Amino acid sequence: MDLNYSPEDVAFREKTRRWLEENVPRQDLKTLDERKAWHRTLYEAGYVGMLWPKEYGGWGATPMRQAIVQDEMARIGAPPPINGLGIGFIGPTIIVHGTDQQKQRYLRKMLTAEEIWCQLYSEPNAGSDLASLKTRAEDTGDHFVVNGQKIWTSSGPIADWGILLCRTDLKVPKHKGISCFLLNMRQPGVEVRPLKQITGHSLFSEVFMTNARAEKDDLIGRLSQGWEIAQTTLGYERGANSLGRVTRYAISYHQLVHAAKELKRGGRPLIDDPVVRARLGKMYAELEVQRYAGLRVLSGLNKGETPGAASSITKLSYTEFEKRFYETALEILGPWGQQMVAGEDFEEVDTSSGEPGTFATAFLWSRAGTIYSGSSEVQKNIIGERVLGLPKEVRADRIAR
Amino acid sequence: MDFSFSSDQQLLKNSARAFLDEHVKPALVRSLIDDPRGESEALWKEMAQLGWLGLSLPEEHGGSGLGMVETAILLEEMGRAALPAPYLPTILAARAIAEAGTPEQQQRWLPAIATGSARATIAFLDNDLSWDLSTATATRAVGAPDRWRLSGAKRFVPWAHVADVILVPARSQKGLSLFFVDPSTAGITMSPAPLMDVAGRWSTLALDQVSVTEMLGPSGQVGALLNSVVLCGAVGAAAGMLGAARRCLDMAVSYAKVREQFGQPIGSFQAIRHKCAEMLLEVENSHAATYYAAWALDARSEDHAVAASVAKAYVGDAARKVCSEAIQVHGGIGFTWEYDLHLYFKHAKALEAMYGDGDHHRELIVRQVAG
Repeated sequence: MDLNYSPEDVAFREKTRRWLEENVPRQDLKTLDERKAWHRTLYEAGYVGMLWPKEYGGWGATPMRQAIVQDEMARIGAPPPINGLGIGFIGPTIIVHGTDQQKQRYLRKMLTAEEIWCQLYSEPNAGSDLASLKTRAEDTGDHFVVNGQKIWTSSGPIADWGILLCRTDLKVPKHKGISCFLLNMRQPGVEVRPLKQITGHSLFSEVFMTNARAEKDDLIGRLSQGWEIAQTTLGYERGANSLGRVTRYAISYHQLVHAAKELKRGGRPLIDDPVVRARLGKMYAELEVQRYAGLRVLSGLNKGETPGAASSITKLSYTEFEKRFYETALEILGPWGQQMVAGEDFEEVDTSSGEPGTFATAFLWSRAGTIYSGSSEVQKNIIGERVLGLPKEVRADRIAR
Repeated sequence: MDFSFSSDQQLLKNSARAFLDEHVKPALVRSLIDDPRGESEALWKEMAQLGWLGLSLPEEHGGSGLGMVETAILLEEMGRAALPAPYLPTILAARAIAEAGTPEQQQRWLPAIATGSARATIAFLDNDLSWDLSTATATRAVGAPDRWRLSGAKRFVPWAHVADVILVPARSQKGLSLFFVDPSTAGITMSPAPLMDVAGRWSTLALDQVSVTEMLGPSGQVGALLNSVVLCGAVGAAAGMLGAARRCLDMAVSYAKVREQFGQPIGSFQAIRHKCAEMLLEVENSHAATYYAAWALDARSEDHAVAASVAKAYVGDAARKVCSEAIQVHGGIGFTWEYDLHLYFKHAKALEAMYGDGDHHRELIVRQVAG
């Protein structure tokens, strides 16, 4: 056990920090083109696609290096790269399951954000029970015709391509009749309608497919292998953000402490109130434990271990922590914490999405984490069954078939 | 950066687990409940032979010179077994002696501790039970440079009844000092202060003009020494609570796999499975907290004091939750004396209050990170 960073990683961190200090845009990035340009700059510097093999345009770096970059970006408040879903797991899925032609066609443009990707998995009636999805793809001989509706699609309005799960066989049990396609979003049969979130922003959308066209060449893996492919991609969390995430929390924490020193109640600063102090102490302890646990996961990844179902523990842990953290912040701040526009006395806070906002925005955002990518309840099922080996539950859909 | 145990550390863990599984079964823990000493002399000698008692002591005094990580590995396994033994108090006292003792003091006590012929403890708490020792110690030491008389009261002194030496913090004219006290000295009244934990023993000490001749560390300036020993105690207690929590989790999961209601194992119900998943989350986070802090103490990293407080505060809450939920998963059987869960539940609870409870350490954290 040695929790010191290696001298090489320390030097890499220094170099990254200097590069970011020199290159982070001074002004807010307003347009998609500006964000793409920043993404491209990051990519060329070696800070995007770090875990991707070199042969596909990546940098073949260690998970530790990638985590260090994310950490330094959080520290300096750098705008995040775009195409996170694409680079984080759609690309790796293509690398593992795709054909040479698919790799040639899609990977590099994904890395450079020339083409933006979204994920077409969830449906209005297929959330936690994803395998019950109803979107159909029918083989017309020349291509597949897709009909159905997807929901909670992040980056929908800006996406050029989507990774699609749809039903291709109605005669087999639900997990067995699903296929995975790459779908061109820029076609007449695909309509994207933004959804407004509780934050007031519209970062995700509904996607309607009406006789949309999916090419046969864009089938990933074999027909009906979609569920298996989706299982591997859902587990493709490689701890990239394990340090950066905690650094964002730590920055928010110190902003909270600052506010608690400035704000007075009953004539004395909040920070002198023992109840406030106890809450702050508890949150800092929890925040640090997130950091230690993140280091533990990262050190395993760095040695080539695959966390498998144990990554559900990580996801459950930090998303539930994030809710408690911002709940505590708003309890301490009172109405000050509920402002949706930063007042003069308040600095901006980085939300978990990496977007700047207020404590209220971050508080609202924190509700998303325990729902997306498998809700906390789904994670607990996975932990129970696959990590602890508890017996499977009796479920109607398991009995029926 | 490597968060996993080295092969030597893993070996230590495995051999400790094997030894304790064989020699410290719940039946042994129970058999010591009515024993006046509450510990097994034979077991203590075996622990000495295994090298556990000298694990963290310098090699020149018969120790192995290992650190807090290895100590925490042992303490986790001991917590998992609810081992009734004065291990933590003895090694904390030894640590203080190794850090601040004169060569003569070290020679007198450290080899004896390493070989299992001496046990030691520290009487940290005065009547008000505050762990802010620098301000709260009310026991007084009156006297000249080489002879003092101690008067006051010490509470919940762990394993004082079997200790060969008790280190007693007291306030002298020069400030907070630490004294070697022979428990048989005239003026000491020792009475048992039994708690619900069956794996620990505590005493109340009344000190009336107790004559002492030896100090440990600089006269009037042992605040820093005591604080650092308390932090080691905090991390050691965290390791013990982690072990107790893991035992309770294991028992709950095993039970949920075989106990059937409504025609199915109760572990197939989400109400139970989700509880077990939450317990595992707390145990894994507690592992990260405990060993991060242990490493930080060994490495004297910048954040070692915060890390120790984080571990104690976090693991105290987590272990209480995990052990209680294990009882809930078991239902009625978990509430019986015959079932073993309560051994670990109570042991974790006792450790939660020692070396600073959660509230104390949360305040220490805020002082360090927020001012």
